[in-house]
Amino acid sequence: MSGIDWGALGTEFVLSLVFAGGAVAIYALGLRLLAVGAPPELRLETAAVRTEHVADGEIETPHRRPAVASFAAYLCFAIDIAVVLYGLYMIIPQFH
Amino acid sequence: MVVILVIVLGLVFDFTNGFHDTANAMATSVATGALKPRVAVLISAVLNLVGAFLSTEVASTVSGGIVKEGSAGVQITPAMIFAGLVGAIIWNLATWYVGLPSSSTHALFGGLIGAAIVGSGFQAVDWFNVISKIALPALFAPIVAGIVALVATYAAYTITRRATSQGAEAGFRHGQTVSASLVSLAHGTNDAQKTMGVITLTLVAAGYQKSGTTPHIWVIIACALAIAAGTYSGGWRIMRTVGRRITDVAPPQGFAAEASSAATILVSSHLGFPLSTTQVTSGAIVGSGLGKRLASVRWGTFGRMALAWLVTVPAAALVAAVATFIVKTGTVGLIITAIAAIGGMVAFYLLSRRHPVTHETVNEDEDVLASKPVAAQGGAK
Repeated sequence: MSGIDWGALGTEFVLSLVFAGGAVAIYALGLRLLAVGAPPELRLETAAVRTEHVADGEIETPHRRPAVASFAAYLCFAIDIAVVLYGLYMIIPQFH
Repeated sequence: MVVILVIVLGLVFDFTNGFHDTANAMATSVATGALKPRVAVLISAVLNLVGAFLSTEVASTVSGGIVKEGSAGVQITPAMIFAGLVGAIIWNLATWYVGLPSSSTHALFGGLIGAAIVGSGFQAVDWFNVISKIALPALFAPIVAGIVALVATYAAYTITRRATSQGAEAGFRHGQTVSASLVSLAHGTNDAQKTMGVITLTLVAAGYQKSGTTPHIWVIIACALAIAAGTYSGGWRIMRTVGRRITDVAPPQGFAAEASSAATILVSSHLGFPLSTTQVTSGAIVGSGLGKRLASVRWGTFGRMALAWLVTVPAAALVAAVATFIVKTGTVGLIITAIAAIGGMVAFYLLSRRHPVTHETVNEDEDVLASKPVAAQGGAK
Protein backbone atom coordinates (compact mmCIF):
# COMPACT_ATOMS: atom_id res chain seq x y z
CA MET A 1 0.00 0.00 0.00
CA SER A 2 2.86 2.34 -0.73
CA GLY A 3 0.56 4.45 -2.91
CA ILE A 4 -1.47 5.59 0.07
CA ASP A 5 -0.37 8.92 1.40
CA TRP A 6 -0.16 8.00 5.07
CA GLY A 7 1.29 11.38 5.90
CA ALA A 8 -1.77 13.13 4.46
CA LEU A 9 -4.01 10.82 6.44
CA GLY A 10 -2.15 11.63 9.64
CA THR A 11 -2.29 15.36 8.94
CA GLU A 12 -5.98 14.98 8.13
CA PHE A 13 -6.64 13.34 11.48
CA VAL A 14 -4.65 15.85 13.53
CA LEU A 15 -6.06 18.93 11.78
CA SER A 16 -9.65 17.66 11.98
CA LEU A 17 -9.16 16.93 15.66
CA VAL A 18 -7.67 20.36 16.35
CA PHE A 19 -10.32 22.28 14.39
CA ALA A 20 -13.39 20.31 15.45
CA GLY A 21 -12.29 19.60 19.00
CA GLY A 22 -11.04 23.16 19.42
CA ALA A 23 -14.12 24.82 17.99
CA VAL A 24 -16.51 22.67 20.03
CA ALA A 25 -14.51 23.11 23.24
CA ILE A 26 -14.30 26.88 22.78
CA TYR A 27 -18.01 27.14 21.98
CA ALA A 28 -18.87 25.04 25.03
CA LEU A 29 -16.57 27.20 27.14
CA GLY A 30 -18.39 30.28 25.86
CA LEU A 31 -21.76 28.80 26.87
CA ARG A 32 -20.34 27.83 30.23
CA LEU A 33 -18.97 31.32 30.84
CA LEU A 34 -22.37 32.83 30.08
CA ALA A 35 -23.70 30.77 32.97
CA VAL A 36 -21.19 32.18 35.45
CA GLY A 37 -22.81 34.14 38.20
CA ALA A 38 -26.38 33.22 37.33
CA PRO A 39 -28.37 31.74 40.21
CA PRO A 40 -28.72 27.97 39.81
CA GLU A 41 -32.37 28.01 38.76
CA LEU A 42 -31.71 30.72 36.20
CA ARG A 43 -28.43 29.32 35.05
CA LEU A 44 -28.09 29.88 31.35
CA GLU A 45 -31.70 30.78 30.78
CA THR A 46 -32.25 33.14 27.92
CA ALA A 47 -33.17 36.78 28.34
CA ALA A 48 -36.68 36.04 27.13
CA VAL A 49 -37.22 33.49 29.88
CA ARG A 50 -35.78 35.87 32.45
CA THR A 51 -38.28 38.53 31.41
CA GLU A 52 -41.10 36.08 32.00
CA HIS A 53 -39.96 35.74 35.58
CA VAL A 54 -40.16 39.50 35.94
CA ALA A 55 -43.64 39.52 34.46
CA ASP A 56 -44.64 36.92 37.01
CA GLY A 57 -43.97 39.52 39.66
CA GLU A 58 -40.57 38.35 40.73
CA ILE A 59 -37.92 40.89 41.36
CA GLU A 60 -35.36 40.61 38.64
CA THR A 61 -32.18 39.21 40.04
CA PRO A 62 -29.29 41.54 39.46
CA HIS A 63 -27.04 40.31 36.72
CA ARG A 64 -24.15 38.85 38.63
CA ARG A 65 -22.04 37.66 35.77
CA PRO A 66 -18.67 39.37 36.13
CA ALA A 67 -17.65 41.53 33.20
CA VAL A 68 -14.57 39.44 32.69
CA ALA A 69 -16.72 36.31 32.22
CA SER A 70 -18.90 38.09 29.67
CA PHE A 71 -15.83 39.32 27.85
CA ALA A 72 -14.26 35.86 27.81
CA ALA A 73 -17.53 34.33 26.58
CA TYR A 74 -17.80 36.79 23.70
CA LEU A 75 -14.14 36.17 22.92
CA CYS A 76 -14.91 32.44 22.66
CA PHE A 77 -17.78 33.09 20.26
CA ALA A 78 -15.63 35.49 18.25
CA ILE A 79 -12.96 32.81 17.85
CA ASP A 80 -15.59 30.36 16.63
CA ILE A 81 -16.97 32.88 14.16
CA ALA A 82 -13.43 33.26 12.85
CA VAL A 83 -13.16 29.47 12.51
CA VAL A 84 -16.44 29.37 10.56
CA LEU A 85 -15.25 32.17 8.28
CA TYR A 86 -12.03 30.26 7.70
CA GLY A 87 -14.16 27.23 6.84
CA LEU A 88 -16.08 29.31 4.30
CA TYR A 89 -12.76 30.50 2.90
CA MET A 90 -11.70 26.88 2.46
CA ILE A 91 -15.00 25.88 0.81
CA ILE A 92 -15.30 28.70 -1.69
CA PRO A 93 -12.78 28.20 -4.51
CA GLN A 94 -12.97 31.82 -5.69
CA PHE A 95 -11.00 32.86 -2.61
CA HIS A 96 -7.99 30.79 -3.53
CA MET B 1 -29.54 9.94 -28.69
CA VAL B 2 -27.07 8.49 -26.20
CA VAL B 3 -25.86 11.96 -25.33
CA ILE B 4 -29.39 13.14 -24.53
CA LEU B 5 -29.98 10.04 -22.41
CA VAL B 6 -26.72 10.64 -20.53
CA ILE B 7 -27.69 14.25 -19.83
CA VAL B 8 -31.14 13.24 -18.57
CA LEU B 9 -29.78 10.38 -16.48
CA GLY B 10 -26.95 12.58 -15.24
CA LEU B 11 -29.51 15.02 -13.89
CA VAL B 12 -31.57 12.19 -12.39
CA PHE B 13 -28.41 10.93 -10.70
CA ASP B 14 -27.74 14.45 -9.44
CA PHE B 15 -31.27 14.54 -8.01
CA THR B 16 -30.82 11.19 -6.22
CA ASN B 17 -27.45 12.42 -5.01
CA GLY B 18 -29.23 15.41 -3.49
CA PHE B 19 -31.90 13.55 -1.58
CA HIS B 20 -29.52 10.81 -0.59
CA ASP B 21 -27.18 13.29 1.04
CA THR B 22 -29.62 15.69 2.71
CA ALA B 23 -29.31 13.43 5.72
CA ASN B 24 -25.57 13.97 5.94
CA ALA B 25 -25.90 17.59 6.84
CA MET B 26 -29.35 17.83 8.30
CA ALA B 27 -30.33 14.54 9.97
CA THR B 28 -28.94 15.45 13.38
CA SER B 29 -30.29 18.99 13.16
CA VAL B 30 -33.76 17.59 12.54
CA ALA B 31 -33.34 14.97 15.25
CA THR B 32 -32.32 17.46 17.94
CA GLY B 33 -34.98 19.95 16.90
CA ALA B 34 -32.35 22.56 16.01
CA LEU B 35 -34.21 23.01 12.75
CA LYS B 36 -37.72 22.05 11.73
CA PRO B 37 -37.63 19.38 9.02
CA ARG B 38 -38.91 21.62 6.22
CA VAL B 39 -36.61 24.48 7.21
CA ALA B 40 -33.63 22.13 7.36
CA VAL B 41 -34.10 20.81 3.83
CA LEU B 42 -34.75 24.33 2.52
CA ILE B 43 -31.50 25.66 4.00
CA SER B 44 -29.63 22.62 2.73
CA ALA B 45 -31.14 22.97 -0.76
CA VAL B 46 -30.28 26.66 -1.03
CA LEU B 47 -26.71 26.03 0.14
CA ASN B 48 -26.32 23.16 -2.31
CA LEU B 49 -27.57 25.45 -5.07
CA VAL B 50 -25.11 28.18 -4.08
CA GLY B 51 -22.32 25.64 -3.70
CA ALA B 52 -22.97 24.26 -7.18
CA PHE B 53 -22.46 27.69 -8.70
CA LEU B 54 -19.35 28.38 -6.66
CA SER B 55 -17.43 25.42 -7.91
CA THR B 56 -17.65 24.64 -11.61
CA GLU B 57 -14.14 23.46 -12.31
CA VAL B 58 -14.61 20.05 -13.84
CA ALA B 59 -12.21 17.16 -13.39
CA SER B 60 -10.33 16.02 -16.47
CA THR B 61 -11.49 12.42 -16.16
CA VAL B 62 -14.91 10.97 -15.42
CA SER B 63 -13.72 8.32 -13.01
CA GLY B 64 -10.82 10.13 -11.39
CA GLY B 65 -8.34 7.40 -12.24
CA ILE B 66 -10.50 4.42 -11.27
CA VAL B 67 -10.91 3.40 -14.89
CA LYS B 68 -7.78 3.65 -17.04
CA GLU B 69 -8.88 6.43 -19.34
CA GLY B 70 -7.05 8.07 -22.19
CA SER B 71 -4.67 6.91 -24.86
CA ALA B 72 -3.02 4.17 -22.79
CA GLY B 73 -6.26 2.71 -21.51
CA VAL B 74 -9.85 2.53 -22.67
CA GLN B 75 -11.95 5.23 -24.23
CA ILE B 76 -14.97 5.84 -22.03
CA THR B 77 -17.87 6.12 -24.43
CA PRO B 78 -21.17 7.90 -23.77
CA ALA B 79 -22.81 4.43 -23.83
CA MET B 80 -20.59 3.32 -20.94
CA ILE B 81 -21.34 6.47 -18.99
CA PHE B 82 -25.02 5.83 -19.64
CA ALA B 83 -24.77 2.30 -18.25
CA GLY B 84 -22.70 3.53 -15.31
CA LEU B 85 -25.33 6.12 -14.45
CA VAL B 86 -28.09 3.50 -14.62
CA GLY B 87 -26.16 1.38 -12.12
CA ALA B 88 -25.53 4.33 -9.81
CA ILE B 89 -29.14 5.55 -9.86
CA ILE B 90 -30.66 2.11 -9.27
CA TRP B 91 -28.31 1.50 -6.34
CA ASN B 92 -29.01 4.96 -4.90
CA LEU B 93 -32.75 4.29 -5.05
CA ALA B 94 -32.35 0.82 -3.53
CA THR B 95 -30.39 2.13 -0.55
CA TRP B 96 -32.80 5.03 -0.19
CA TYR B 97 -35.73 2.61 -0.12
CA VAL B 98 -34.21 0.68 2.79
CA GLY B 99 -33.15 3.97 4.39
CA LEU B 100 -29.41 3.44 4.34
CA PRO B 101 -26.99 6.26 3.65
CA SER B 102 -24.42 5.27 1.05
CA SER B 103 -21.93 7.24 -0.98
CA SER B 104 -23.33 8.51 -4.29
CA THR B 105 -19.78 8.98 -5.52
CA HIS B 106 -18.98 5.34 -4.87
CA ALA B 107 -22.18 4.32 -6.65
CA LEU B 108 -21.09 6.34 -9.68
CA PHE B 109 -17.59 4.85 -9.60
CA GLY B 110 -19.07 1.38 -9.19
CA GLY B 111 -21.32 1.92 -12.18
CA LEU B 112 -18.38 3.07 -14.31
CA ILE B 113 -16.29 0.09 -13.18
CA GLY B 114 -19.05 -2.34 -14.16
CA ALA B 115 -19.49 -0.65 -17.53
CA ALA B 116 -15.73 -0.63 -18.15
CA ILE B 117 -15.31 -4.32 -17.29
CA VAL B 118 -18.05 -5.45 -19.68
CA GLY B 119 -16.96 -2.91 -22.27
CA SER B 120 -13.22 -3.56 -22.22
CA GLY B 121 -12.37 -6.29 -19.74
CA PHE B 122 -10.88 -6.40 -16.24
CA GLN B 123 -7.65 -4.72 -17.28
CA ALA B 124 -9.60 -1.51 -17.97
CA VAL B 125 -9.94 -0.90 -14.25
CA ASP B 126 -7.05 0.41 -12.18
CA TRP B 127 -7.52 -1.92 -9.21
CA PHE B 128 -4.79 -0.26 -7.22
CA ASN B 129 -6.73 3.01 -7.41
CA VAL B 130 -9.92 1.18 -6.46
CA ILE B 131 -8.18 0.18 -3.22
CA SER B 132 -6.44 3.47 -2.55
CA LYS B 133 -9.22 5.84 -3.62
CA ILE B 134 -12.36 3.93 -2.65
CA ALA B 135 -11.77 1.05 -0.25
CA LEU B 136 -9.25 2.53 2.17
CA PRO B 137 -10.84 5.99 2.40
CA ALA B 138 -14.15 4.23 3.09
CA LEU B 139 -12.45 2.51 6.00
CA PHE B 140 -10.71 5.62 7.32
CA ALA B 141 -13.48 8.20 6.88
CA PRO B 142 -15.79 6.89 9.61
CA ILE B 143 -12.87 6.07 11.93
CA VAL B 144 -11.26 9.51 11.67
CA ALA B 145 -14.57 11.39 11.91
CA GLY B 146 -15.73 9.06 14.67
CA ILE B 147 -12.71 9.64 16.89
CA VAL B 148 -12.81 13.40 16.27
CA ALA B 149 -16.52 13.51 17.15
CA LEU B 150 -15.95 11.35 20.22
CA VAL B 151 -13.35 13.77 21.56
CA ALA B 152 -15.45 16.82 20.65
CA THR B 153 -18.58 15.38 22.29
CA TYR B 154 -16.65 14.46 25.41
CA ALA B 155 -15.22 17.98 25.56
CA ALA B 156 -18.64 19.57 25.08
CA TYR B 157 -20.19 17.53 27.90
CA THR B 158 -17.24 17.96 30.25
CA ILE B 159 -17.05 21.71 29.84
CA THR B 160 -20.79 22.35 30.21
CA ARG B 161 -21.22 19.68 32.86
CA ARG B 162 -22.79 22.03 35.36
CA ALA B 163 -24.72 24.08 32.86
CA THR B 164 -27.18 21.69 31.31
CA SER B 165 -30.26 23.90 31.31
CA GLN B 166 -32.21 25.14 28.34
CA GLY B 167 -29.84 27.94 27.48
CA ALA B 168 -26.93 25.64 26.82
CA GLU B 169 -29.11 23.35 24.73
CA ALA B 170 -30.27 26.29 22.64
CA GLY B 171 -26.68 27.44 22.29
CA PHE B 172 -25.62 24.06 21.00
CA ARG B 173 -28.55 24.02 18.58
CA HIS B 174 -27.43 27.35 17.09
CA GLY B 175 -23.91 26.04 16.77
CA GLN B 176 -25.22 22.92 15.13
CA THR B 177 -27.22 24.89 12.57
CA VAL B 178 -24.09 26.76 11.53
CA SER B 179 -21.86 23.69 11.31
CA ALA B 180 -24.53 21.70 9.43
CA SER B 181 -24.83 24.58 6.95
CA LEU B 182 -21.09 24.39 6.31
CA VAL B 183 -21.46 20.69 5.54
CA SER B 184 -24.29 21.47 3.09
CA LEU B 185 -22.30 24.15 1.29
CA ALA B 186 -19.25 21.91 1.03
CA HIS B 187 -21.49 19.19 -0.34
CA GLY B 188 -22.85 21.49 -3.04
CA THR B 189 -19.38 22.51 -4.17
CA ASN B 190 -18.29 18.87 -4.41
CA ASP B 191 -21.20 16.80 -5.62
CA ALA B 192 -22.97 18.98 -8.19
CA GLN B 193 -19.58 19.36 -9.82
CA LYS B 194 -19.35 15.61 -10.38
CA THR B 195 -22.49 15.53 -12.53
CA MET B 196 -21.32 18.63 -14.37
CA GLY B 197 -18.13 16.73 -15.09
CA VAL B 198 -19.96 13.67 -16.37
CA ILE B 199 -22.20 15.71 -18.67
CA THR B 200 -19.40 17.96 -19.90
CA LEU B 201 -17.04 15.05 -20.61
CA THR B 202 -19.87 13.31 -22.48
CA LEU B 203 -20.39 16.41 -24.60
CA VAL B 204 -16.66 16.50 -25.27
CA ALA B 205 -16.57 12.80 -26.15
CA ALA B 206 -19.47 13.28 -28.55
CA GLY B 207 -17.75 16.23 -30.19
CA TYR B 208 -20.22 18.89 -29.07
CA GLN B 209 -17.73 20.69 -26.90
CA LYS B 210 -14.01 21.37 -27.03
CA SER B 211 -11.82 19.42 -24.65
CA GLY B 212 -10.60 21.39 -21.66
CA THR B 213 -13.36 24.00 -21.71
CA THR B 214 -15.55 24.84 -18.75
CA PRO B 215 -19.12 23.52 -18.54
CA HIS B 216 -21.82 25.29 -20.51
CA ILE B 217 -23.93 27.62 -18.43
CA TRP B 218 -27.06 25.51 -18.99
CA VAL B 219 -25.21 22.46 -17.65
CA ILE B 220 -24.24 24.37 -14.50
CA ILE B 221 -27.77 25.67 -13.98
CA ALA B 222 -29.40 22.30 -14.64
CA CYS B 223 -27.03 20.44 -12.30
CA ALA B 224 -27.37 23.04 -9.56
CA LEU B 225 -31.17 22.92 -9.78
CA ALA B 226 -31.25 19.12 -9.88
CA ILE B 227 -29.16 18.66 -6.75
CA ALA B 228 -31.03 21.44 -4.94
CA ALA B 229 -34.42 19.94 -5.88
CA GLY B 230 -33.22 16.53 -4.76
CA THR B 231 -32.02 17.97 -1.47
CA TYR B 232 -35.28 19.82 -0.90
CA SER B 233 -37.34 16.70 -1.60
CA GLY B 234 -35.60 15.42 1.50
CA GLY B 235 -34.48 11.83 1.78
CA TRP B 236 -36.62 11.37 4.86
CA ARG B 237 -36.09 7.61 4.92
CA ILE B 238 -32.35 8.05 5.21
CA MET B 239 -32.68 10.99 7.54
CA ARG B 240 -34.68 8.90 9.97
CA THR B 241 -31.95 6.27 10.01
CA VAL B 242 -29.09 8.71 10.45
CA GLY B 243 -30.79 11.05 12.90
CA ARG B 244 -32.76 8.59 14.97
CA ARG B 245 -31.57 5.05 14.60
CA ILE B 246 -27.83 5.22 15.17
CA THR B 247 -27.97 6.96 18.50
CA ASP B 248 -30.29 9.34 20.36
CA VAL B 249 -28.76 12.65 19.40
CA ALA B 250 -28.87 15.43 22.01
CA PRO B 251 -27.93 19.03 21.05
CA PRO B 252 -24.32 18.90 22.36
CA GLN B 253 -23.78 15.66 20.42
CA GLY B 254 -25.39 17.02 17.28
CA PHE B 255 -23.19 20.09 17.41
CA ALA B 256 -20.05 18.05 18.04
CA ALA B 257 -20.93 15.61 15.25
CA GLU B 258 -21.62 18.33 12.67
CA ALA B 259 -18.55 20.33 13.65
CA SER B 260 -16.43 17.19 13.33
CA SER B 261 -17.98 16.36 9.95
CA ALA B 262 -17.41 19.87 8.66
CA ALA B 263 -13.78 19.91 9.85
CA THR B 264 -13.00 16.44 8.52
CA ILE B 265 -14.56 17.14 5.11
CA LEU B 266 -12.91 20.53 4.71
CA VAL B 267 -9.47 19.35 5.79
CA SER B 268 -9.65 16.23 3.62
CA SER B 269 -10.67 18.06 0.45
CA HIS B 270 -7.98 20.65 1.16
CA LEU B 271 -5.31 17.97 1.46
CA GLY B 272 -6.46 16.17 -1.67
CA PHE B 273 -7.44 13.13 0.35
CA PRO B 274 -11.13 13.11 -0.46
CA LEU B 275 -13.36 11.28 1.98
CA SER B 276 -16.99 10.38 1.40
CA THR B 277 -19.32 12.90 3.05
CA THR B 278 -21.73 10.10 3.83
CA GLN B 279 -19.16 8.01 5.63
CA VAL B 280 -17.70 10.98 7.47
CA THR B 281 -21.05 12.14 8.86
CA SER B 282 -22.17 8.63 9.78
CA GLY B 283 -18.89 8.00 11.57
CA ALA B 284 -19.17 11.33 13.37
CA ILE B 285 -22.64 10.48 14.66
CA VAL B 286 -21.42 7.13 15.99
CA GLY B 287 -18.49 8.95 17.62
CA SER B 288 -20.82 11.45 19.25
CA GLY B 289 -22.81 8.56 20.67
CA LEU B 290 -19.69 6.95 22.07
CA GLY B 291 -18.47 10.26 23.49
CA LYS B 292 -21.55 10.57 25.62
CA ARG B 293 -22.26 7.06 26.75
CA LEU B 294 -20.90 3.86 25.29
CA ALA B 295 -24.10 1.87 25.34
CA SER B 296 -26.21 4.30 23.37
CA VAL B 297 -24.93 3.42 19.89
CA ARG B 298 -27.08 0.95 17.99
CA TRP B 299 -24.40 -1.12 16.35
CA GLY B 300 -26.95 -3.11 14.36
CA THR B 301 -27.90 -0.02 12.37
CA PHE B 302 -24.28 0.93 11.90
CA GLY B 303 -23.46 -2.60 10.82
CA ARG B 304 -26.13 -2.47 8.12
CA MET B 305 -24.75 0.85 6.93
CA ALA B 306 -21.20 -0.48 6.81
CA LEU B 307 -22.45 -3.46 4.84
CA ALA B 308 -24.16 -1.10 2.39
CA TRP B 309 -20.88 0.80 1.92
CA LEU B 310 -19.08 -2.46 1.29
CA VAL B 311 -21.63 -3.55 -1.30
CA THR B 312 -22.13 -0.16 -3.00
CA VAL B 313 -19.36 -0.45 -5.58
CA PRO B 314 -19.95 -4.10 -6.57
CA ALA B 315 -23.74 -3.68 -6.62
CA ALA B 316 -23.71 -0.58 -8.81
CA ALA B 317 -21.07 -2.28 -10.96
CA LEU B 318 -23.28 -5.33 -11.41
CA VAL B 319 -26.29 -3.28 -12.52
CA ALA B 320 -24.09 -1.25 -14.87
CA ALA B 321 -22.49 -4.42 -16.23
CA VAL B 322 -25.86 -5.84 -17.14
CA ALA B 323 -26.86 -2.50 -18.65
CA THR B 324 -23.66 -2.34 -20.70
CA PHE B 325 -24.23 -5.89 -21.90
CA ILE B 326 -27.65 -4.94 -23.28
CA VAL B 327 -26.57 -1.54 -24.61
CA LYS B 328 -23.77 -3.18 -26.58
CA THR B 329 -26.31 -4.94 -28.78
CA GLY B 330 -27.23 -1.64 -30.41
CA THR B 331 -29.90 1.04 -30.43
CA VAL B 332 -32.66 -1.40 -29.48
CA GLY B 333 -30.60 -2.48 -26.50
CA LEU B 334 -30.13 1.14 -25.50
CA ILE B 335 -33.88 1.76 -25.61
CA ILE B 336 -34.59 -1.44 -23.68
CA THR B 337 -32.08 -0.41 -20.99
CA ALA B 338 -33.54 3.10 -20.75
CA ILE B 339 -37.07 1.70 -20.35
CA ALA B 340 -35.89 -0.87 -17.80
CA ALA B 341 -34.09 1.87 -15.84
CA ILE B 342 -37.20 4.05 -15.77
CA GLY B 343 -39.24 1.00 -14.75
CA GLY B 344 -36.82 0.37 -11.90
CA MET B 345 -37.07 3.95 -10.69
CA VAL B 346 -40.87 3.91 -10.79
CA ALA B 347 -40.89 0.57 -8.99
CA PHE B 348 -38.82 1.91 -6.10
CA TYR B 349 -41.00 5.00 -5.92
CA LEU B 350 -44.19 2.93 -5.79
CA LEU B 351 -42.67 0.58 -3.20
CA SER B 352 -41.78 3.56 -1.04
CA ARG B 353 -45.39 4.81 -1.16
CA ARG B 354 -46.54 1.70 0.64
CA HIS B 355 -45.01 2.92 3.86
CA PRO B 356 -43.85 6.46 3.25
CA VAL B 357 -41.58 8.46 5.50
CA THR B 358 -42.27 12.18 5.32
CA HIS B 359 -41.14 15.34 7.06
CA GLU B 360 -43.93 14.69 9.52
CA THR B 361 -42.80 11.23 10.50
CA VAL B 362 -39.06 11.63 10.09
CA ASN B 363 -38.46 11.77 13.84
CA GLU B 364 -40.68 8.86 14.76
CA ASP B 365 -38.96 5.95 16.34
CA GLU B 366 -40.65 3.43 18.56
CA ASP B 367 -37.76 3.08 21.00
CA VAL B 368 -37.18 6.79 21.29
CA LEU B 369 -40.82 7.80 21.63
CA ALA B 370 -41.15 5.60 24.66
CA SER B 371 -38.34 7.30 26.56
CA LYS B 372 -38.52 10.97 25.67
CA PRO B 373 -40.72 13.46 23.81
CA VAL B 374 -39.75 14.21 20.26
CA ALA B 375 -39.18 17.91 20.00
CA ALA B 376 -39.47 18.48 16.29
CA GLN B 377 -42.12 15.95 15.44
CA GLY B 378 -44.80 17.42 13.21
CA GLY B 379 -43.30 20.82 13.76
CA ALA B 380 -43.54 21.91 10.15
CA LYS B 381 -46.97 20.86 9.02
